[in-house]
Amino acid sequence: MLRRALPHLAIFAAILGLWEAAIATGLIRSIMVPPPSAVMAAMVKLYLVEGTIYRHFFITLWESVSGFAIGAGIAIALATGSALWEPFRRYVTPYAIVLNVTPGIALTPVIIAWFGYGIGSKVALAAVLCFFPIFVNTLTGLTRPDRDREELFRQLGASDAQLFFKLRVPAALPLMFAGLKIGLTTALIGAVVAEFSQATEGVGVLMSRFSFQLNMGASIATLLSMTAIGLLLFYSMEFIDDRMVFWRREARREAASRARARAWKARRGD
Amino acid sequence: MTNDAAPVVTGTHVGKTFANGAVVALENAQFNIPKGTFVSLVGPSGCGKSTLLRLIAGLIEASSGEITLHGTPVRGPRQDVGMMFQKATLLEWRTALENVLLPTELQRKPTRADEDKARDLLGLVGLGDFAFSFPAQLSGGMQQRVALARLLQTGADVLLLDEPFGALDEFTREHLNLELLRIVGELGATTIFVTHNIAEAIFLADQVFVMTPRPGRIARIVDVPLERPRRLALQTTPEFNRLVVEVRETLGEL
Repeated sequence: MLRRALPHLAIFAAILGLWEAAIATGLIRSIMVPPPSAVMAAMVKLYLVEGTIYRHFFITLWESVSGFAIGAGIAIALATGSALWEPFRRYVTPYAIVLNVTPGIALTPVIIAWFGYGIGSKVALAAVLCFFPIFVNTLTGLTRPDRDREELFRQLGASDAQLFFKLRVPAALPLMFAGLKIGLTTALIGAVVAEFSQATEGVGVLMSRFSFQLNMGASIATLLSMTAIGLLLFYSMEFIDDRMVFWRREARREAASRARARAWKARRGD
Repeated sequence: MTNDAAPVVTGTHVGKTFANGAVVALENAQFNIPKGTFVSLVGPSGCGKSTLLRLIAGLIEASSGEITLHGTPVRGPRQDVGMMFQKATLLEWRTALENVLLPTELQRKPTRADEDKARDLLGLVGLGDFAFSFPAQLSGGMQQRVALARLLQTGADVLLLDEPFGALDEFTREHLNLELLRIVGELGATTIFVTHNIAEAIFLADQVFVMTPRPGRIARIVDVPLERPRRLALQTTPEFNRLVVEVRETLGEL
Protein backbone atom coordinates (compact mmCIF):
# COMPACT_ATOMS: atom_id res chain seq x y z
CA MET A 1 0.00 0.00 0.00
CA LEU A 2 2.68 2.49 1.11
CA ARG A 3 5.04 1.32 -1.64
CA ARG A 4 2.41 2.00 -4.28
CA ALA A 5 1.42 5.37 -2.77
CA LEU A 6 5.02 6.55 -2.45
CA PRO A 7 5.63 7.57 -6.11
CA HIS A 8 2.32 9.49 -6.14
CA LEU A 9 3.24 11.34 -2.96
CA ALA A 10 6.70 12.10 -4.30
CA ILE A 11 5.35 13.52 -7.56
CA PHE A 12 2.73 15.58 -5.71
CA ALA A 13 5.37 16.97 -3.34
CA ALA A 14 7.59 17.84 -6.29
CA ILE A 15 4.78 19.74 -8.02
CA LEU A 16 4.05 21.71 -4.85
CA GLY A 17 7.77 22.41 -4.35
CA LEU A 18 8.25 23.69 -7.90
CA TRP A 19 5.10 25.78 -7.63
CA GLU A 20 6.23 27.33 -4.35
CA ALA A 21 9.72 27.96 -5.80
CA ALA A 22 8.35 29.58 -8.98
CA ILE A 23 6.54 32.14 -6.84
CA ALA A 24 9.39 32.65 -4.35
CA THR A 25 11.79 33.45 -7.23
CA GLY A 26 9.27 35.87 -8.77
CA LEU A 27 8.72 33.72 -11.90
CA ILE A 28 4.96 33.84 -11.24
CA ARG A 29 3.24 36.78 -9.53
CA SER A 30 1.75 35.71 -6.24
CA ILE A 31 -1.17 38.10 -6.64
CA MET A 32 -2.51 35.91 -9.51
CA VAL A 33 -1.43 32.47 -8.39
CA PRO A 34 -1.20 31.85 -4.67
CA PRO A 35 1.69 29.73 -3.40
CA PRO A 36 0.73 26.37 -1.88
CA SER A 37 1.67 27.72 1.52
CA ALA A 38 -0.94 30.50 1.20
CA VAL A 39 -3.57 27.92 0.17
CA MET A 40 -2.63 25.82 3.18
CA ALA A 41 -2.89 28.83 5.49
CA ALA A 42 -6.31 29.74 4.05
CA MET A 43 -7.48 26.14 4.49
CA VAL A 44 -6.44 26.11 8.12
CA LYS A 45 -8.35 29.35 8.67
CA LEU A 46 -11.49 28.37 6.74
CA TYR A 47 -11.71 24.73 7.78
CA LEU A 48 -10.22 24.70 11.28
CA VAL A 49 -9.94 28.09 12.95
CA GLU A 50 -13.09 29.86 11.77
CA GLY A 51 -14.90 26.87 10.29
CA THR A 52 -16.86 29.21 7.99
CA ILE A 53 -16.72 26.78 5.06
CA TYR A 54 -18.95 24.06 6.48
CA ARG A 55 -22.22 25.93 6.31
CA HIS A 56 -21.59 26.74 2.64
CA PHE A 57 -20.30 23.26 1.98
CA PHE A 58 -23.51 21.63 3.20
CA ILE A 59 -25.74 24.12 1.39
CA THR A 60 -24.05 23.35 -1.95
CA LEU A 61 -24.10 19.64 -1.18
CA TRP A 62 -27.81 19.83 -0.39
CA GLU A 63 -28.54 21.80 -3.58
CA SER A 64 -26.66 19.27 -5.70
CA VAL A 65 -28.25 16.21 -4.14
CA SER A 66 -31.82 17.50 -4.20
CA GLY A 67 -31.37 18.83 -7.75
CA PHE A 68 -30.00 15.44 -8.72
CA ALA A 69 -32.90 13.61 -7.06
CA ILE A 70 -35.46 15.69 -8.98
CA GLY A 71 -33.59 15.52 -12.31
CA ALA A 72 -32.93 11.79 -11.98
CA GLY A 73 -36.54 11.09 -10.97
CA ILE A 74 -37.92 12.87 -14.03
CA ALA A 75 -35.26 11.38 -16.32
CA ILE A 76 -35.93 7.80 -15.20
CA ALA A 77 -39.72 8.27 -15.37
CA LEU A 78 -39.56 9.69 -18.91
CA ALA A 79 -37.02 7.08 -20.05
CA THR A 80 -39.19 4.27 -18.68
CA GLY A 81 -42.27 5.74 -20.39
CA SER A 82 -40.31 6.04 -23.62
CA ALA A 83 -39.04 2.48 -23.38
CA LEU A 84 -42.52 1.05 -22.75
CA TRP A 85 -44.43 3.08 -25.26
CA GLU A 86 -43.03 3.77 -28.72
CA PRO A 87 -45.23 6.84 -29.58
CA PHE A 88 -44.25 8.45 -26.27
CA ARG A 89 -40.59 8.03 -27.16
CA ARG A 90 -41.19 9.57 -30.60
CA TYR A 91 -42.57 12.74 -29.04
CA VAL A 92 -40.28 13.01 -26.01
CA THR A 93 -36.89 12.36 -27.65
CA PRO A 94 -36.78 15.57 -29.78
CA TYR A 95 -37.30 17.72 -26.66
CA ALA A 96 -34.63 15.80 -24.77
CA ILE A 97 -32.19 16.34 -27.65
CA VAL A 98 -33.02 20.06 -27.93
CA LEU A 99 -32.49 20.38 -24.20
CA ASN A 100 -29.15 18.63 -24.52
CA VAL A 101 -27.75 20.69 -27.42
CA THR A 102 -28.82 23.96 -25.75
CA PRO A 103 -26.02 24.87 -23.33
CA GLY A 104 -27.78 24.17 -20.05
CA ILE A 105 -25.68 26.73 -18.23
CA ALA A 106 -27.12 29.44 -20.49
CA LEU A 107 -30.46 28.84 -18.78
CA THR A 108 -29.00 30.26 -15.55
CA PRO A 109 -30.45 33.83 -15.86
CA VAL A 110 -33.88 32.44 -16.80
CA ILE A 111 -33.86 29.99 -13.93
CA ILE A 112 -32.81 32.68 -11.45
CA ALA A 113 -35.65 34.86 -12.74
CA TRP A 114 -38.09 31.99 -12.23
CA PHE A 115 -36.88 30.57 -8.96
CA GLY A 116 -35.26 33.58 -7.27
CA TYR A 117 -31.97 34.13 -5.48
CA GLY A 118 -32.46 31.39 -2.93
CA ILE A 119 -31.77 27.67 -2.98
CA GLY A 120 -34.62 26.97 -5.44
CA SER A 121 -32.79 28.24 -8.51
CA LYS A 122 -29.65 26.21 -7.61
CA VAL A 123 -31.67 23.04 -7.23
CA ALA A 124 -33.48 23.75 -10.50
CA LEU A 125 -30.29 24.26 -12.54
CA ALA A 126 -28.73 21.15 -11.00
CA ALA A 127 -31.86 19.19 -12.01
CA VAL A 128 -31.81 20.53 -15.58
CA LEU A 129 -28.14 19.77 -16.09
CA CYS A 130 -28.22 16.21 -14.77
CA PHE A 131 -31.38 15.23 -16.65
CA PHE A 132 -29.94 14.32 -20.04
CA PRO A 133 -27.16 11.81 -19.26
CA ILE A 134 -29.52 9.90 -16.97
CA PHE A 135 -32.37 9.95 -19.48
CA VAL A 136 -30.24 8.77 -22.40
CA ASN A 137 -28.45 6.03 -20.47
CA THR A 138 -31.62 4.67 -18.91
CA LEU A 139 -33.46 4.68 -22.24
CA THR A 140 -30.54 3.02 -24.03
CA GLY A 141 -30.28 0.40 -21.29
CA LEU A 142 -33.99 -0.41 -21.35
CA THR A 143 -34.29 -0.61 -25.13
CA ARG A 144 -31.05 -2.42 -25.87
CA PRO A 145 -32.04 -5.42 -27.99
CA ASP A 146 -31.55 -8.77 -26.29
CA ARG A 147 -33.13 -11.08 -28.86
CA ASP A 148 -31.98 -14.44 -27.51
CA ARG A 149 -33.18 -13.84 -23.99
CA GLU A 150 -36.39 -12.18 -25.14
CA GLU A 151 -37.09 -15.29 -27.21
CA LEU A 152 -36.42 -17.43 -24.14
CA PHE A 153 -38.88 -15.40 -22.07
CA ARG A 154 -41.49 -15.60 -24.82
CA GLN A 155 -40.99 -19.35 -25.14
CA LEU A 156 -41.48 -19.70 -21.39
CA GLY A 157 -44.78 -17.84 -21.69
CA ALA A 158 -43.68 -14.68 -19.82
CA SER A 159 -46.06 -11.71 -19.68
CA ASP A 160 -44.94 -8.25 -20.83
CA ALA A 161 -44.64 -7.13 -17.21
CA GLN A 162 -42.45 -10.14 -16.34
CA LEU A 163 -40.27 -9.48 -19.38
CA PHE A 164 -39.85 -5.88 -18.26
CA PHE A 165 -39.17 -6.41 -14.57
CA LYS A 166 -37.27 -9.70 -14.71
CA LEU A 167 -35.21 -9.08 -17.83
CA ARG A 168 -35.12 -5.52 -19.12
CA VAL A 169 -34.81 -3.61 -15.84
CA PRO A 170 -31.93 -5.65 -14.37
CA ALA A 171 -30.21 -5.72 -17.77
CA ALA A 172 -30.45 -1.90 -17.92
CA LEU A 173 -28.98 -1.28 -14.46
CA PRO A 174 -25.28 -1.07 -15.46
CA LEU A 175 -25.96 1.61 -18.08
CA MET A 176 -28.43 3.42 -15.84
CA PHE A 177 -25.86 3.69 -13.06
CA ALA A 178 -23.25 4.96 -15.51
CA GLY A 179 -25.73 7.75 -16.32
CA LEU A 180 -26.43 8.43 -12.64
CA LYS A 181 -22.72 8.80 -11.91
CA ILE A 182 -22.30 11.37 -14.70
CA GLY A 183 -25.53 13.10 -13.67
CA LEU A 184 -24.51 13.50 -10.06
CA THR A 185 -21.32 15.31 -11.05
CA THR A 186 -23.14 17.58 -13.53
CA ALA A 187 -25.70 18.40 -10.82
CA LEU A 188 -22.83 19.82 -8.76
CA ILE A 189 -21.77 21.95 -11.74
CA GLY A 190 -25.33 23.26 -12.00
CA ALA A 191 -25.50 24.18 -8.32
CA VAL A 192 -22.13 25.98 -8.34
CA VAL A 193 -22.77 27.87 -11.58
CA ALA A 194 -26.10 29.11 -10.24
CA GLU A 195 -24.34 30.22 -7.07
CA PHE A 196 -21.71 32.12 -9.08
CA SER A 197 -24.47 33.91 -10.89
CA GLN A 198 -26.67 35.05 -8.03
CA ALA A 199 -26.77 33.78 -4.47
CA THR A 200 -26.07 34.56 -0.84
CA GLU A 201 -24.87 31.17 0.38
CA GLY A 202 -22.89 28.18 -0.91
CA VAL A 203 -19.26 27.50 -1.80
CA GLY A 204 -19.75 29.18 -5.21
CA VAL A 205 -20.63 32.48 -3.52
CA LEU A 206 -17.75 32.14 -1.13
CA MET A 207 -15.29 31.48 -3.94
CA SER A 208 -16.39 34.44 -6.11
CA ARG A 209 -16.30 36.68 -3.04
CA PHE A 210 -12.68 35.69 -2.30
CA SER A 211 -11.70 36.11 -5.95
CA PHE A 212 -13.12 39.64 -6.08
CA GLN A 213 -11.05 40.45 -2.99
CA LEU A 214 -8.02 38.96 -4.82
CA ASN A 215 -7.68 36.62 -1.85
CA MET A 216 -6.43 33.85 -4.11
CA GLY A 217 -5.32 31.51 -1.34
CA ALA A 218 -8.83 31.43 0.16
CA SER A 219 -10.33 31.17 -3.31
CA ILE A 220 -8.38 28.00 -4.12
CA ALA A 221 -9.04 26.65 -0.63
CA THR A 222 -12.77 27.01 -1.37
CA LEU A 223 -12.36 25.39 -4.78
CA LEU A 224 -10.90 22.36 -3.02
CA SER A 225 -14.10 22.08 -0.98
CA MET A 226 -15.97 21.68 -4.27
CA THR A 227 -13.57 18.91 -5.21
CA ALA A 228 -14.41 17.32 -1.89
CA ILE A 229 -18.15 17.54 -2.62
CA GLY A 230 -17.54 16.04 -6.08
CA LEU A 231 -15.53 13.14 -4.66
CA LEU A 232 -18.09 12.52 -1.93
CA LEU A 233 -20.96 12.41 -4.45
CA PHE A 234 -19.10 10.28 -6.99
CA TYR A 235 -17.92 7.67 -4.54
CA SER A 236 -21.33 7.46 -2.82
CA MET A 237 -22.87 6.60 -6.18
CA GLU A 238 -20.00 4.25 -6.99
CA PHE A 239 -20.68 2.47 -3.70
CA ILE A 240 -24.39 2.02 -4.49
CA ASP A 241 -23.59 1.00 -8.09
CA ASP A 242 -21.12 -1.62 -6.94
CA ARG A 243 -23.75 -3.24 -4.73
CA MET A 244 -26.73 -2.96 -7.05
CA VAL A 245 -24.82 -4.21 -10.12
CA PHE A 246 -23.00 -6.79 -8.04
CA TRP A 247 -22.57 -9.28 -10.90
CA ARG A 248 -19.99 -7.17 -12.69
CA ARG A 249 -17.10 -7.52 -10.23
CA GLU A 250 -15.66 -10.78 -9.06
CA ALA A 251 -15.33 -9.87 -5.38
CA ARG A 252 -18.95 -8.63 -5.24
CA ARG A 253 -20.20 -11.71 -7.09
CA GLU A 254 -18.54 -13.99 -4.61
CA ALA A 255 -19.95 -12.04 -1.67
CA ALA A 256 -23.44 -12.12 -3.23
CA SER A 257 -23.07 -15.83 -3.93
CA ARG A 258 -22.26 -16.56 -0.27
CA ALA A 259 -25.10 -14.30 0.91
CA ARG A 260 -27.66 -16.15 -1.25
CA ALA A 261 -26.43 -19.52 -0.01
CA ARG A 262 -26.83 -18.32 3.59
CA ALA A 263 -30.30 -16.87 2.91
CA TRP A 264 -31.38 -20.18 1.35
CA LYS A 265 -30.14 -22.11 4.32
CA ALA A 266 -31.79 -19.76 6.80
CA ARG A 267 -35.12 -19.92 4.97
CA ARG A 268 -35.24 -23.64 4.27
CA GLY A 269 -32.87 -25.19 6.74
CA ASP A 270 -31.00 -27.36 4.20
CA MET B 1 -37.45 -46.62 -30.50
CA THR B 2 -41.17 -46.78 -29.92
CA ASN B 3 -42.71 -46.52 -33.37
CA ASP B 4 -45.93 -48.14 -32.24
CA ALA B 5 -46.79 -45.23 -29.90
CA ALA B 6 -49.00 -42.36 -31.06
CA PRO B 7 -46.95 -39.50 -32.53
CA VAL B 8 -46.24 -36.62 -30.15
CA VAL B 9 -45.22 -34.11 -32.81
CA THR B 10 -46.64 -34.13 -36.34
CA GLY B 11 -46.25 -31.86 -39.33
CA THR B 12 -48.52 -31.77 -42.37
CA HIS B 13 -47.41 -29.82 -45.46
CA VAL B 14 -45.67 -27.29 -43.19
CA GLY B 15 -44.28 -24.27 -45.01
CA LYS B 16 -42.79 -20.97 -43.93
CA THR B 17 -41.97 -18.00 -46.13
CA PHE B 18 -40.40 -14.69 -45.15
CA ALA B 19 -40.39 -11.27 -46.84
CA ASN B 20 -43.91 -11.69 -48.27
CA GLY B 21 -43.15 -15.01 -49.87
CA ALA B 22 -39.85 -13.93 -51.48
CA VAL B 23 -37.82 -16.27 -49.26
CA VAL B 24 -38.97 -19.84 -48.81
CA ALA B 25 -37.43 -20.91 -45.50
CA LEU B 26 -39.27 -24.22 -45.34
CA GLU B 27 -41.37 -26.08 -47.85
CA ASN B 28 -43.83 -28.92 -47.45
CA ALA B 29 -42.39 -30.57 -44.34
CA GLN B 30 -44.09 -33.87 -43.45
CA PHE B 31 -43.24 -35.80 -40.32
CA ASN B 32 -44.51 -37.85 -37.38
CA ILE B 33 -42.36 -38.08 -34.28
CA PRO B 34 -43.35 -40.86 -31.84
CA LYS B 35 -43.02 -40.43 -28.09
CA GLY B 36 -39.53 -40.80 -26.70
CA THR B 37 -37.84 -40.49 -30.09
CA PHE B 38 -34.61 -38.56 -30.50
CA VAL B 39 -34.66 -36.70 -33.84
CA SER B 40 -31.70 -34.81 -35.29
CA LEU B 41 -32.24 -32.07 -37.85
CA VAL B 42 -29.08 -31.79 -39.94
CA GLY B 43 -28.19 -29.69 -42.94
CA PRO B 44 -26.23 -26.65 -44.13
CA SER B 45 -27.22 -23.12 -43.14
CA GLY B 46 -30.40 -21.92 -44.79
CA CYS B 47 -31.95 -25.40 -44.92
CA GLY B 48 -34.73 -24.36 -42.54
CA LYS B 49 -33.74 -26.46 -39.52
CA SER B 50 -33.91 -23.58 -37.04
CA THR B 51 -37.10 -22.37 -38.72
CA LEU B 52 -38.68 -25.79 -38.23
CA LEU B 53 -37.65 -25.82 -34.58
CA ARG B 54 -39.12 -22.35 -33.97
CA LEU B 55 -42.33 -23.38 -35.70
CA ILE B 56 -42.68 -26.37 -33.37
CA ALA B 57 -41.90 -24.09 -30.39
CA GLY B 58 -44.68 -21.75 -31.49
CA LEU B 59 -42.27 -18.82 -31.66
CA ILE B 60 -43.16 -18.22 -35.30
CA GLU B 61 -46.31 -19.09 -37.22
CA ALA B 62 -46.44 -21.44 -40.22
CA SER B 63 -47.35 -19.85 -43.54
CA SER B 64 -49.02 -23.07 -44.64
CA GLY B 65 -49.79 -26.51 -43.25
CA GLU B 66 -50.10 -27.44 -39.60
CA ILE B 67 -47.98 -28.68 -36.71
CA THR B 68 -49.56 -30.57 -33.82
CA LEU B 69 -48.17 -31.31 -30.38
CA HIS B 70 -49.85 -33.99 -28.30
CA GLY B 71 -52.68 -33.89 -30.82
CA THR B 72 -53.46 -30.17 -30.65
CA PRO B 73 -52.33 -27.60 -33.24
CA VAL B 74 -49.50 -25.26 -32.27
CA ARG B 75 -50.74 -21.65 -32.10
CA GLY B 76 -48.07 -20.01 -29.94
CA PRO B 77 -45.54 -20.75 -27.19
CA ARG B 78 -46.77 -23.49 -24.86
CA GLN B 79 -45.72 -25.18 -21.69
CA ASP B 80 -45.43 -28.75 -23.00
CA VAL B 81 -42.33 -27.86 -25.02
CA GLY B 82 -39.04 -26.59 -23.70
CA MET B 83 -36.30 -24.99 -25.73
CA MET B 84 -32.55 -24.56 -25.42
CA PHE B 85 -30.40 -22.29 -27.56
CA GLN B 86 -26.80 -22.17 -28.72
CA LYS B 87 -26.17 -19.41 -26.19
CA ALA B 88 -26.90 -20.30 -22.59
CA THR B 89 -29.08 -17.15 -22.31
CA LEU B 90 -28.75 -17.12 -18.51
CA LEU B 91 -29.55 -14.06 -16.42
CA GLU B 92 -26.21 -12.94 -14.98
CA TRP B 93 -27.80 -11.41 -11.85
CA ARG B 94 -29.28 -14.76 -10.84
CA THR B 95 -27.49 -17.73 -9.33
CA ALA B 96 -27.53 -21.05 -11.19
CA LEU B 97 -30.39 -22.18 -8.94
CA GLU B 98 -32.39 -18.99 -9.50
CA ASN B 99 -31.85 -19.36 -13.26
CA VAL B 100 -33.20 -22.91 -13.13
CA LEU B 101 -36.23 -21.67 -11.17
CA LEU B 102 -37.03 -18.99 -13.76
CA PRO B 103 -39.53 -21.07 -15.81
CA THR B 104 -41.49 -21.89 -12.63
CA GLU B 105 -41.35 -18.31 -11.42
CA LEU B 106 -42.88 -17.06 -14.66
CA GLN B 107 -45.90 -19.29 -14.01
CA ARG B 108 -46.39 -19.06 -10.23
CA LYS B 109 -44.62 -18.51 -6.95
CA PRO B 110 -42.18 -21.43 -6.61
CA THR B 111 -43.09 -23.91 -3.87
CA ARG B 112 -40.66 -25.85 -1.73
CA ALA B 113 -41.18 -28.80 -4.07
CA ASP B 114 -40.26 -26.65 -7.10
CA GLU B 115 -37.09 -25.60 -5.31
CA ASP B 116 -36.25 -29.20 -4.46
CA LYS B 117 -36.75 -30.14 -8.11
CA ALA B 118 -34.44 -27.34 -9.27
CA ARG B 119 -31.72 -28.50 -6.87
CA ASP B 120 -32.12 -32.09 -8.00
CA LEU B 121 -31.87 -31.05 -11.65
CA LEU B 122 -28.65 -29.15 -10.95
CA GLY B 123 -27.37 -32.36 -9.41
CA LEU B 124 -28.54 -34.32 -12.47
CA VAL B 125 -26.48 -32.09 -14.80
CA GLY B 126 -23.50 -32.37 -12.45
CA LEU B 127 -23.66 -28.91 -10.90
CA GLY B 128 -24.86 -29.84 -7.42
CA ASP B 129 -22.05 -27.84 -5.82
CA PHE B 130 -22.61 -24.75 -7.95
CA ALA B 131 -26.22 -23.91 -7.08
CA PHE B 132 -25.30 -20.49 -5.69
CA SER B 133 -22.71 -19.56 -8.33
CA PHE B 134 -23.46 -16.75 -10.73
CA PRO B 135 -23.11 -17.41 -14.51
CA ALA B 136 -19.89 -15.38 -14.70
CA GLN B 137 -18.35 -17.80 -12.19
CA LEU B 138 -19.09 -20.79 -14.47
CA SER B 139 -17.36 -22.03 -17.63
CA GLY B 140 -19.18 -22.11 -20.98
CA GLY B 141 -19.93 -25.82 -20.63
CA MET B 142 -21.26 -25.36 -17.10
CA GLN B 143 -23.48 -22.50 -18.27
CA GLN B 144 -25.00 -24.78 -20.89
CA ARG B 145 -25.63 -27.39 -18.19
CA VAL B 146 -27.53 -24.76 -16.21
CA ALA B 147 -29.54 -24.00 -19.36
CA LEU B 148 -30.27 -27.73 -19.71
CA ALA B 149 -31.43 -27.93 -16.08
CA ARG B 150 -33.64 -24.89 -16.67
CA LEU B 151 -35.12 -26.59 -19.73
CA LEU B 152 -35.90 -29.70 -17.66
CA GLN B 153 -37.41 -27.57 -14.87
CA THR B 154 -40.24 -26.62 -17.27
CA GLY B 155 -41.44 -30.21 -17.02
CA ALA B 156 -41.94 -30.26 -20.79
CA ASP B 157 -41.74 -33.71 -22.39
CA VAL B 158 -40.82 -32.35 -25.82
CA LEU B 159 -37.34 -30.85 -25.83
CA LEU B 160 -36.18 -28.60 -28.66
CA LEU B 161 -32.44 -28.02 -28.78
CA ASP B 162 -30.94 -25.56 -31.26
CA GLU B 163 -27.22 -26.45 -31.56
CA PRO B 164 -27.07 -26.40 -27.78
CA PHE B 165 -23.38 -27.23 -27.45
CA GLY B 166 -22.29 -25.72 -30.78
CA ALA B 167 -20.20 -22.98 -29.18
CA LEU B 168 -18.23 -25.36 -26.96
CA ASP B 169 -14.99 -27.19 -27.67
CA GLU B 170 -15.09 -30.72 -29.13
CA PHE B 171 -14.32 -32.58 -25.88
CA THR B 172 -16.87 -30.70 -23.80
CA ARG B 173 -19.43 -31.13 -26.54
CA GLU B 174 -19.00 -34.92 -26.80
CA HIS B 175 -19.18 -35.21 -23.05
CA LEU B 176 -22.34 -33.13 -22.80
CA ASN B 177 -23.92 -35.04 -25.71
CA LEU B 178 -23.46 -38.30 -23.81
CA GLU B 179 -24.99 -36.77 -20.70
CA LEU B 180 -27.86 -35.41 -22.73
CA LEU B 181 -28.58 -38.92 -24.07
CA ARG B 182 -28.51 -40.33 -20.55
CA ILE B 183 -30.86 -37.66 -19.21
CA VAL B 184 -33.45 -37.70 -22.00
CA GLY B 185 -33.29 -41.50 -21.92
CA GLU B 186 -34.11 -41.50 -18.20
CA LEU B 187 -36.94 -39.02 -18.66
CA GLY B 188 -38.32 -40.66 -21.81
CA ALA B 189 -38.54 -37.21 -23.40
CA THR B 190 -39.13 -36.63 -27.10
CA THR B 191 -36.16 -34.64 -28.36
CA ILE B 192 -35.52 -32.61 -31.50
CA PHE B 193 -31.89 -31.62 -31.88
CA VAL B 194 -30.59 -29.18 -34.49
CA THR B 195 -26.98 -29.51 -35.64
CA HIS B 196 -24.85 -29.06 -38.73
CA ASN B 197 -22.50 -31.85 -37.69
CA ILE B 198 -23.46 -35.06 -39.53
CA ALA B 199 -21.62 -37.48 -37.21
CA GLU B 200 -23.15 -35.83 -34.14
CA ALA B 201 -26.62 -35.97 -35.70
CA ILE B 202 -26.36 -39.74 -36.34
CA PHE B 203 -24.64 -40.55 -33.08
CA LEU B 204 -27.45 -39.05 -30.99
CA ALA B 205 -30.56 -39.85 -32.96
CA ASP B 206 -33.15 -42.49 -33.66
CA GLN B 207 -34.10 -40.57 -36.80
CA VAL B 208 -32.11 -38.03 -38.80
CA PHE B 209 -34.07 -35.46 -40.80
CA VAL B 210 -31.66 -34.54 -43.60
CA MET B 211 -32.49 -31.03 -44.74
CA THR B 212 -31.41 -29.16 -47.90
CA PRO B 213 -31.53 -25.42 -48.64
CA ARG B 214 -33.20 -23.18 -51.29
CA PRO B 215 -35.95 -23.88 -50.60
CA GLY B 216 -35.49 -25.41 -47.16
CA ARG B 217 -37.02 -28.84 -47.02
CA ILE B 218 -36.70 -32.27 -45.42
CA ALA B 219 -34.96 -34.17 -48.21
CA ARG B 220 -34.97 -37.49 -46.44
CA ILE B 221 -35.61 -39.14 -43.10
CA VAL B 222 -32.85 -41.63 -42.23
CA ASP B 223 -33.55 -44.24 -39.55
CA VAL B 224 -30.66 -44.96 -37.18
CA PRO B 225 -31.01 -48.59 -36.01
CA LEU B 226 -27.97 -48.46 -33.72
CA GLU B 227 -28.14 -49.92 -30.23
CA ARG B 228 -28.42 -47.84 -27.06
CA PRO B 229 -26.77 -46.75 -24.91
CA ARG B 230 -24.51 -45.19 -27.50
CA ARG B 231 -20.75 -45.26 -26.94
CA LEU B 232 -18.17 -43.02 -28.58
CA ALA B 233 -16.49 -46.09 -30.15
CA LEU B 234 -19.66 -46.54 -32.21
CA GLN B 235 -18.44 -43.81 -34.54
CA THR B 236 -15.72 -46.06 -35.98
CA THR B 237 -18.04 -48.95 -36.90
CA PRO B 238 -19.00 -49.78 -40.53
CA GLU B 239 -22.74 -49.36 -39.79
CA PHE B 240 -22.09 -45.86 -38.53
CA ASN B 241 -20.07 -45.02 -41.64
CA ARG B 242 -22.77 -46.43 -43.89
CA LEU B 243 -25.24 -43.98 -42.27
CA VAL B 244 -22.81 -41.07 -42.70
CA VAL B 245 -22.51 -41.94 -46.40
CA GLU B 246 -26.29 -42.12 -46.70
CA VAL B 247 -26.72 -38.66 -45.18
CA ARG B 248 -23.91 -37.16 -47.24
CA GLU B 249 -25.39 -38.60 -50.44
CA THR B 250 -28.70 -36.95 -49.66
CA LEU B 251 -26.91 -33.64 -49.09
CA GLY B 252 -25.30 -34.08 -52.53
CA GLU B 253 -21.82 -34.10 -51.08
CA LEU B 254 -20.67 -37.39 -52.62
